[in-house]
Amino acid sequence: MKIGAVKEKFTQLKDSGALSPKALKEKMTELFVVAPQEEGKAAETGKKDFRKMAKDFWYGKPHEERRLGDLYIGDTGLYKHREWRGFADTMYYFNMIWLYNYGHMITDIIKYGGSPLALVDFLKGTMRYRWMGQTYLTVMHWFDRGLEGMRGPILRGSAWHYRGMVSASIQQIMRMFTSDKKIHGGNESEQWKKNIAHNETVSGSVFYPFRGQVTDIPLEMIPYFVTCHVNNHTVLNYIDAAQSIGLPADPCPMCQAEYGLFVLDDYPDFAPTMVTSNEACDGSVATSVLQDWFLNRPLYAMPQPMRYDDPLVQEHCQKEIEGCWKFIEEQYGAKFDWDVFVEHVNLQNEQYAFEHEKWDVAANTPYYPINGVAQALYRIFYSQYGTQPIWHEVDGHVKKLMQKTVANKIETLPKTRHRAIAWSCAPLYYSNWCTWAYNCWGINCVINMDSLMFDQYIRTDTYEHALEDLSWYNEKAPMRAMAVGGHEHIFQLWQYMERFNCDMVIMYDQLQCKGMQGVHGMFEDEFRKRDIHAIWVPHALPDKRTVSRKEIRKIISDYMTTVMREEPLDPTLVDFEDGNSW
Amino acid sequence: MRDLVHIIEFEELLQEAYNDLVRKGKEDGLRALGYTCYFMPEVLLDIPGCFGVRLRAPRSGSPDMATYYMTNRTCMYGRCLFERALEGGFNFLDAEMGTETCTVTCRFQEHLQMMDVIKNPDFFCEFTDVPFKKNKNSIDHYEKQLQFHVLDKLKEHFGIDTSDEALLKAIEEHNEMCRLIQEIGSYRKLDNPTITGTEFCMIQLITQVCPKYLIMDKLRDIAEDLKTREPDEKKAYRCKVVLTGSEEDDPYFVKLIEECGALVVADRVCYGSIPGREEIVVKEGETPLRAIARHYLETSQCPRFMEQHTMRERKQFLANIAKEYKADGMIICQMKFCEYWSYERTIDTLILPRDFGIPVCSIEKEYVNNAVGQLRTRFQAFVESVEIKKIQEGKAV
Amino acid sequence: MKIFGKIIKILALVYAALFAVFYFDLDGKFLYYIWEPMMIKRFDNMKREDNTKTPYEEKDILAADRD
Repeated sequence: MKIGAVKEKFTQLKDSGALSPKALKEKMTELFVVAPQEEGKAAETGKKDFRKMAKDFWYGKPHEERRLGDLYIGDTGLYKHREWRGFADTMYYFNMIWLYNYGHMITDIIKYGGSPLALVDFLKGTMRYRWMGQTYLTVMHWFDRGLEGMRGPILRGSAWHYRGMVSASIQQIMRMFTSDKKIHGGNESEQWKKNIAHNETVSGSVFYPFRGQVTDIPLEMIPYFVTCHVNNHTVLNYIDAAQSIGLPADPCPMCQAEYGLFVLDDYPDFAPTMVTSNEACDGSVATSVLQDWFLNRPLYAMPQPMRYDDPLVQEHCQKEIEGCWKFIEEQYGAKFDWDVFVEHVNLQNEQYAFEHEKWDVAANTPYYPINGVAQALYRIFYSQYGTQPIWHEVDGHVKKLMQKTVANKIETLPKTRHRAIAWSCAPLYYSNWCTWAYNCWGINCVINMDSLMFDQYIRTDTYEHALEDLSWYNEKAPMRAMAVGGHEHIFQLWQYMERFNCDMVIMYDQLQCKGMQGVHGMFEDEFRKRDIHAIWVPHALPDKRTVSRKEIRKIISDYMTTVMREEPLDPTLVDFEDGNSW
Repeated sequence: MRDLVHIIEFEELLQEAYNDLVRKGKEDGLRALGYTCYFMPEVLLDIPGCFGVRLRAPRSGSPDMATYYMTNRTCMYGRCLFERALEGGFNFLDAEMGTETCTVTCRFQEHLQMMDVIKNPDFFCEFTDVPFKKNKNSIDHYEKQLQFHVLDKLKEHFGIDTSDEALLKAIEEHNEMCRLIQEIGSYRKLDNPTITGTEFCMIQLITQVCPKYLIMDKLRDIAEDLKTREPDEKKAYRCKVVLTGSEEDDPYFVKLIEECGALVVADRVCYGSIPGREEIVVKEGETPLRAIARHYLETSQCPRFMEQHTMRERKQFLANIAKEYKADGMIICQMKFCEYWSYERTIDTLILPRDFGIPVCSIEKEYVNNAVGQLRTRFQAFVESVEIKKIQEGKAV
Repeated sequence: MKIFGKIIKILALVYAALFAVFYFDLDGKFLYYIWEPMMIKRFDNMKREDNTKTPYEEKDILAADRD
């Protein structure tokens, strides 16, 4: 902004009275001051209860007295001040989450970018791409939303998951930026030539045999998918752009956004080829048509069979994976490396074994140190992206925490009234609804459908076994495994409810998912027949304009008051505005 | 033009899924096998002992019960089929040979599988997995699927002879029908066609929804009749168009286009003849099933194929049709909520005028066309724009 | 020792300042009220390629895909 413009703005503000002492005071109150609420003895006597204040300072307020909704500034989702969680947890949040992550973001940029000069590429990318410049800098608020109200081990465990995702995101961002032709004057660097782009729904595991020779980077995971969680303002541009060239509004908005990036020329050009797939649905297949056009470079389609539990389809699927490997060899001159493949698969199996341990604790105890949103996002992120050192680092921290909570029988979400399973595809713009649902109603979202995908060990004793399991692994990708490919999978809900000891279903109702809309009535019938408390949560994946977060909360709150006849744990969270929050 | 022989009868037959010829087929002791998609090769369902019926739900109103099950945010074709099934309109089916080739028709068929909808004790629904590519791996896979999920099941449930001889016989009959349809359809290539798109649409639909052996003579009559049929002295149309797009089994929709002045000379839609009525060639050393599997993958122009060259060749294919049938433009219609065709229509609408100079009218429609007025306006405007283009190019209108 | 004390003091001040930024969500307020509007303006006005002009010819380089 030029100095003249700043001056002009200042004059305008002055003239409008916005800089008058009264107006400034009002603004400061709006931005920083939380209306005091006296409780207990203090409310009765009208005097300060210093003992209680000291206790609240040290331990944090009891759940029912937190009044988290009072902390918000209007509909922005910003805080007048961040939550005081008691001394230990607040200091943990400040030091080990806020400072630690801000600090590590810088070191990650340098680490993954290869040198401190990578900061320049980062800056260039930030100024070039909306999904970077407008979105990712707000990342700490993503933490805040997901970790609201969390205390003790679950605060720590969930934050480690977030840390893993941030690091993995920066890894991708930096690989894209340091290779990107668009911010390097159209130059096809050596690094560009060694990258392979793939649709975000193609699992990174497919590329294990070439790790070290070719770098696999999901094309839309960072520019689109993760942005919706961090700052959902950006994605709307891509959806609108997709429709601006004639696409109707009803196809899955995820697919729309995935190619809207291309319409707006907001994708980094970081690789000479692309691998795509039909995961998860008709829309994904169709998206490939438009992406192929805009990318206009060699593309390998690696479809997976729809009826994937038919034993007859496995050979076909395996050959398609082999076809992809052949494509990489031909395009990059790389060689299939069995040892590298085994090494990575073993690392992935390690992660998978720990995931099963986690499910066991989540299913059978109240000591699980991960909240619903961290569980869902971390699981889908690491299994989709493939094994990386950061996941193992994070799992190490979480393992220690989980051992502690189990050994010491620490109830991580002590106000749990209902154990819920979230089914179908989740609203990306409100993945933290489960944090809200716990804080407000004591609904503990123990597990979700996407977490249960990729449920497959990969054997490495022989090539044939490895290939067989890898094809199964890919067939069990999110949505692909449940929302299409035969109704019997989506109705595994009942078994999972039992396995995870759930008494409630949060039934995501993705309004533009044809696969799920197509079984809506059968679910209704089954819920009634089985006498299950199911709350339908309508949404449109990344697009908050179709069903707002407030509407989602209202639906859940209405069910809790009218059907369950329950009182909220924190009444300030029942009705508040956050339409303009990230 | 004078009325085409049998066309009134065909029109009447198309008013119901369980029409007189289907009844006759059942009375003759044949098994009626339902299907929805081109990827379920009709020739396999027409082997001796059974006949295929490509499902339609003519004269549908509001599919209320189906909308409860599948919501109003899914393709109306799938919902109308399910509504018809719930009403008992498909109880004549002995089996539904399903494919998960598009989500909503798959869900419709899954409802038949899960709920006791079809009141026929013999009824079963079996799914075939259909590949997304046309390579050898896909043909191998498809062949295996058709063997296990179609032929073996027909043998197991109904004792149908699925030997190579039976398949060859079915291919032979199928090819004869294809030759007749090609012959009938070729009159659309004339400078002044002697068959309308509506008539052709009815004939093509009849071949998909009735037992073939009951219509072959009628097709021969039509082919014969067309040899002497003269076009009207004054053209009854203002331009010629290719109709392309998603599921389309409504001859009255074609009629609507033609009433607006655009003669439909080629039909590249899901129930159309391009592709669909090419003869199946059994190559030397090839089993009949292999030939069928290869044929259906190779000829299909479905937007679910996702190899790069296949995606790109589809545009050229359309341009070639327009040239072959001397079309002035193209109407791309997409069933609302059809995801494949939402995207394919978008790219076709951009690429065909840009790269091939073909004017395009791009529309979204429902299975039950209540919005006739709006569509009529769109088509009329399109016809006018094509005429203006011709005038600008100095061609006679 | 004095220098060490000064460093400690400076670090303590920086730490306290950072805590204030954290506690009063000053990072969020900066990004929301200042940074994001600036970025929106920047990206809304950015000149972009019209990708619908991308050629759409057939490629003959995908031997692996044609097998």
